Amino acid sequence: MAEFVSIMGMAHAPGVTGWIESCPQEEQDAIQAGYEELGRIMKAARPDVIIGVANDHLLNLPLKKPPHWRVDAAEDWHGPAEFFKAWLKQPGYHVRGRPDVADTIHRIASADGHNIDKGHGLLFDDNWSVPLWYLGYDVPIVPIHMNCINPPVPTPEECVAFGRTLRRIVREELPADLRVGLIATGGLSHEPGGPRYFTMDDEFDRWFLDLIAESDAERICREATVERMNAAGGGGTTELLAWMVVMAAAGGEKGRPTFYVPSAEMRCGIGATVWERFA
Amino acid sequence: MANEFDPDLPSNRMVFEVRRDNSVWPHFPERLEELMEAYGLSEPEKEAFRDVDVRRLGEMGVHPYFLPQITRLFHGAARNTSTSAAAEAYRKSFGDQIVEHRKK
Repeated sequence: MAEFVSIMGMAHAPGVTGWIESCPQEEQDAIQAGYEELGRIMKAARPDVIIGVANDHLLNLPLKKPPHWRVDAAEDWHGPAEFFKAWLKQPGYHVRGRPDVADTIHRIASADGHNIDKGHGLLFDDNWSVPLWYLGYDVPIVPIHMNCINPPVPTPEECVAFGRTLRRIVREELPADLRVGLIATGGLSHEPGGPRYFTMDDEFDRWFLDLIAESDAERICREATVERMNAAGGGGTTELLAWMVVMAAAGGEKGRPTFYVPSAEMRCGIGATVWERFA
Repeated sequence: MANEFDPDLPSNRMVFEVRRDNSVWPHFPERLEELMEAYGLSEPEKEAFRDVDVRRLGEMGVHPYFLPQITRLFHGAARNTSTSAAAEAYRKSFGDQIVEHRKK
C-alpha cells in the first residue's frame, strides 16, 4: 500500500509572494521562515507525489451548481494563470501531474458517493502558486480544487468524510510504496469582498489553529461551522474547510501549529499546521 | 449570508470569463463598454462598473470574491498593497463601512 509521508495545512495569501516587502520586517521574517520550514519538512519527507486540496476561487468551477471537488488529471501545468502573475509577482512555473493517481481518486471517491468530478488542466492562482513557491516544483502534484465560497459549500462533515476517503485511497488503492505528501491550502481568516477586506480575526485564527491541531473531527464539525468561519471573514475563511480534509486524512493524530502571523498588509491570518504522524 | 450572489447576473459571467481570457483582461478598461454590451449587463450594472463602485455591484448580486478582482481589472494587480490604486478604489466604494485592522 502507499503511505503518507507528510501532511500539512497552510495559508496561501497572494501577498506572501506578491507584496511581502510591504510588511513590517518582523512579519516578513516570520512568514518567510514559516513557509521555509514547511518546504524543508516536505522535501525531507521525499514524496513521490503531492496531493493538494484548495479553494477554486471561482476560476474553474461553474458558477451554477459547482461540484464540491474537482480532481485534475492533467500531465502537467504552467502556472500561475496569466491574470494572476503580476498580482503574485511570479514569473511562471511548470509542474508535472500524476493522471493515474487523479483517476484513482476520482473513481474511488465517486464510488463512495462524494460530489466530485474530474478536470484536465485547471488554471492555478494563489491557491497552488504560493505554496509551490516554497515547496518546490520538482514533485508531481494532483490538485483537487474545492468549492469553498459558492453556497452551498461542503459541510465540515462532508470534508471530514472526503478526507477519510482520501486516507483509504492512499492506504489501499494507490500503488505500493508510493510516498504521498498531502497539503491543504487556504485561510486563515480573511474577507476578500466586504467591509472587512483590510482586517482579519486573529482571535479566531488562534482558536482554529489549536482546534485543528487537536484533530477531534467531531468537535471540529460541531464548532468550526461554516457560519462561524464566515463570521471571522466572508469570502475567504471557509477555505479552512480544506484543512479539515487533510486533518481527517491524518486519521486522528494531533497536528502541530508551526507558525502564525496576523498580517494587516497580507489582509489575512498567515499560518500553518503540520501532521507528523498519520495513525 | 456571506458569499450569497446571483450566478445568473451578467456581471458575474463577465468577470468569470474575462479573467480566463488573456486576450481580453489586459484591455479591460478600454473595452469595458463593448464587453458590458456583449454580456448583456443592465443599465445599473453598467453604471456601477463605469464608477468602479464595487459595493453597489455586490449589492446587485456580484459575488463578493470578485469585488477586489474588479478593482484590479481597472487599476492593475501588481504590488497590491493596502494603499495600491486597486485597494484605494475598493476602500472608496465601501466608504465608511470599511473596517480597518486594529492590532489586539
